[in-house]
Amino acid sequence: MATAFKTVEPLEYYRRFLKENCRPDGRELGEFRATTVNIGSITTADGSALVKLGNTTVICGVKAELAAPPVDSPNKGYIVPNVELPSLCSTRFRPGPPGEEAQAASQFIADVIENSQIIEKEDLCIANGKLAWVLYCDIICLDYDGNILDASTFALLTALKNVQLPAVTVNEETGLSEVNLKQKNPLIIRKHPVATSFAIFDDTLLIVDPTAEEEDLATGTVTIVTDEEGRLCSVHKPGGSPLTGAKLQDCITRAVTRHKEVKKLIDKVIKSIQPK
Amino acid sequence: MATAEEEEDGGGGGGCCLRPFSCEQGLLSRPDGSAAFIQGDTSVLAGLYGPGEVKGSKELPDQAALEVLLRPKVGLPAVTPRLGRGGGAQREQLIRRTCEAVLLGALHPRTAVTLVLQVLSDIGSLLSCCLNAACLGLLDAGLPLASLFCGVTCALRPDGRLLLDPTARQEQEARAVLTFAIDSADGKVLAATAKGSCSAEELQQCLAAAQRAAATIFRFYRDSLRRKYSKW
Amino acid sequence: MKETPLSNCERRFLLRAVQERKRLDGRQCYDYRNVRISFGADYGCCIVELGKTRVLGQVSCELVPPKPNRATEGILFFNLELSPMAAPAFEPGRQSELLVKLNRLIERCLRNSKCIDTESLCVVAGEKVWQIRVDLHLLNHDGNIIDAASIAGIVALCHFRRPDVSVQGEEVTVYTPEERDPVPLSIHHMPVCVSFAFFQQGTYLLVDPSEREERVMDGLLVIAMNKHREICTIQSSGGIMLLKDQVLRCSKITAVKVAEITELIQKALENDQKVRKEGGKFGFAESIPNQKITAFKMERAAVDTKDVEEQAEEIITKADPPSEVFTKPILHTRGTAQIGEGIENAWGDLEESEREEAAEEEGETDATAFECQKMEMEDTSIMNETEKDEPIVLSDSEEEEVVILEPQDTPKKTRTQTNLKQENTSKKTFNKKRKKKRATH
Repeated sequence: MATAFKTVEPLEYYRRFLKENCRPDGRELGEFRATTVNIGSITTADGSALVKLGNTTVICGVKAELAAPPVDSPNKGYIVPNVELPSLCSTRFRPGPPGEEAQAASQFIADVIENSQIIEKEDLCIANGKLAWVLYCDIICLDYDGNILDASTFALLTALKNVQLPAVTVNEETGLSEVNLKQKNPLIIRKHPVATSFAIFDDTLLIVDPTAEEEDLATGTVTIVTDEEGRLCSVHKPGGSPLTGAKLQDCITRAVTRHKEVKKLIDKVIKSIQPK
Repeated sequence: MATAEEEEDGGGGGGCCLRPFSCEQGLLSRPDGSAAFIQGDTSVLAGLYGPGEVKGSKELPDQAALEVLLRPKVGLPAVTPRLGRGGGAQREQLIRRTCEAVLLGALHPRTAVTLVLQVLSDIGSLLSCCLNAACLGLLDAGLPLASLFCGVTCALRPDGRLLLDPTARQEQEARAVLTFAIDSADGKVLAATAKGSCSAEELQQCLAAAQRAAATIFRFYRDSLRRKYSKW
Repeated sequence: MKETPLSNCERRFLLRAVQERKRLDGRQCYDYRNVRISFGADYGCCIVELGKTRVLGQVSCELVPPKPNRATEGILFFNLELSPMAAPAFEPGRQSELLVKLNRLIERCLRNSKCIDTESLCVVAGEKVWQIRVDLHLLNHDGNIIDAASIAGIVALCHFRRPDVSVQGEEVTVYTPEERDPVPLSIHHMPVCVSFAFFQQGTYLLVDPSEREERVMDGLLVIAMNKHREICTIQSSGGIMLLKDQVLRCSKITAVKVAEITELIQKALENDQKVRKEGGKFGFAESIPNQKITAFKMERAAVDTKDVEEQAEEIITKADPPSEVFTKPILHTRGTAQIGEGIENAWGDLEESEREEAAEEEGETDATAFECQKMEMEDTSIMNETEKDEPIVLSDSEEEEVVILEPQDTPKKTRTQTNLKQENTSKKTFNKKRKKKRATH
């Protein structure tokens, strides 16, 4: 009976639950799905992490390469993020060149990196004007069940925390670079941006961490990215239902709490893999 | 530009200025609705077709399918150097979802509405200019809308002062640049996006300022429409 | 959207009018439509209107290594785009036959005529030259795209200023406009295209065909010429045979039209330069006619932002403070941790045996970590998730039946992600249970 009702009137089905301040999957409105993180999942990458938000699964691998720094800023390296939504992760995506959602997600991640200054690009420079690190951050969604932005941001952050770069020196005489694979250093992570997404239901109700189903039924989404000081690294609301400033403030408040939780999780996971 | 900065500094008293606005509607003969919107030296041309025939794969059974194309002036769409890879797609998505929120698409199911935005010149606050051009384009095409919207860009200067409708140079110097789409019904936020980081207080200040600027822009919409229909 | 087809009676009407030497817009056969040129605030940016046909031109430049066979020459690149704004039938990103044809013609008119001195674009021979890129966008299609595009192209090139450069040894310095005035390109001559439409195997001829006329014409002749009456390109298409006299007559008409257009271009360029020099207002805003009732202008408007701080303060103080209740992270194994007892993924809970397997696979059978994780689980969860007699739940899709291998009395373990087969009542009680547990919002 419930199944039939859900198929025929999916929105009404959701509304009944939301009226009781809960969701069909048993969560409260402000509750995240269980967030699981595995660090160092890809042994061949320089840093990697797998993040699961309920069913949504995102893997991020960071590959470091050496290149000449850009001409206009010779003391900086590059960070090149890319979000892939392959057709295997959901029926909504088709194989082929990245669609609008994948491109928009890539740009969102690029903006978060730029806005939060997660890594000082100067830290990636090895020899001024000659050699710098390029970090290719490939974020691939394995299972799409909504809230891809939160999962991607989290995967990126943990993967970057996991990066171990070999020491590189430039030989003064020969001008050649020497890579010392034995001595590896972690990246300096300056900020910890954490994203929190909301779906807007019926123009008024805000629900945290929407599933794919909820995203489809919702009339809009908001994503807020905060760092540990509570500063906003990104406020992204691509259209949808209008919100008042007060509602936006509620979102920010929730995002601040979420940041603290996620930060603890990251700290714990990082600590667990450190040699005792 | 020198005069703009003088005035902005001379304005004083916490007051902010919007650059001179101009618009022209129905300037293209082929599209069903068209509008040029000019903010200072930034200008965007919008052309709109629809509601019309829809391609099979894009057809929606319960509402009009809206497509937004943002065309840069130099190079191919979505790979412009200034917007970066994917920047175009993200903006297209933002503009499309903003328009979808106000467009009463349910009145025209199984049709397509195509909105093409052509950047004519970009000297700051491009996204807000795109939003304004899009709204005037929708108005000129006579499509049914739930409310109007306008785009406002706010810049936070390094000294913490707030600046409305910044020029490209002011955007570069700014610590953070926030763009809002404000709806005309009760000044709520339809869309928001930010570059750079700011505190929650600063966000709320920018939003409050944007809402006030929106009132001015809506008055501009109203006056220009009144003029357009004055001879009817 | 497809192009609206032209009906037979429309077609007949148009052809009849041509035979009577009449045109729909009231022009004579040899009349050119009005040309209007306006400039943007940037250098090298212009909009050309030919009647209702409108083309945007923008020139940009970049320092690049030259082509190996032409080490001392700059590179010219032309790109005409048929924007979907111009006509409903134009699709974005499709290389239609028309587009390819027009691009070829533009290249022949503006590049192959050698109107731009490419050698002056060389900075360091064999290493660095300027690449000049001309982007032309058709904004509104009302016929005769090629003439409008060629005018827009040459106007944009004439209007363009590239940054000044200096070469000292191997160092190339590019100056910003503030440091040194940008320099114009050196242009030898200005080729302009003029199109002729032929009807009935060349019996009737129209200059500057409109979109409707183009649809019923038999053939098209395009002549590119400069004001010195030199033909730069000539192209006949549509498969009509033309007599020598007809071509000669067309070239004579072209000469007259080109002289007029060139004069107009020069006047427009001079005007813009004068305004810029005198520090007057320029850009597209100035090109909108004031008297049009569809246009409206607003002067610089002040926005009162005095008490935004108070307003912002009010919103923030009214908002609820951030919650102080946090979930504790749970460490599964080394490098894997979790927060939140919210809905877990449908892969099923990592059952103990599975966990061990997973740990083995990773080569991390860390017994101590495992023990500690178990303890943590026990004190945080009320759900007795780690109880030994847990059943294994197999479910691989939302709609799938839940298979319980071991009998169990409570439905708690059957919470696959969106278990639809669950009865609503049991779900409600389950939700209530969970609600008590945690209040974060």
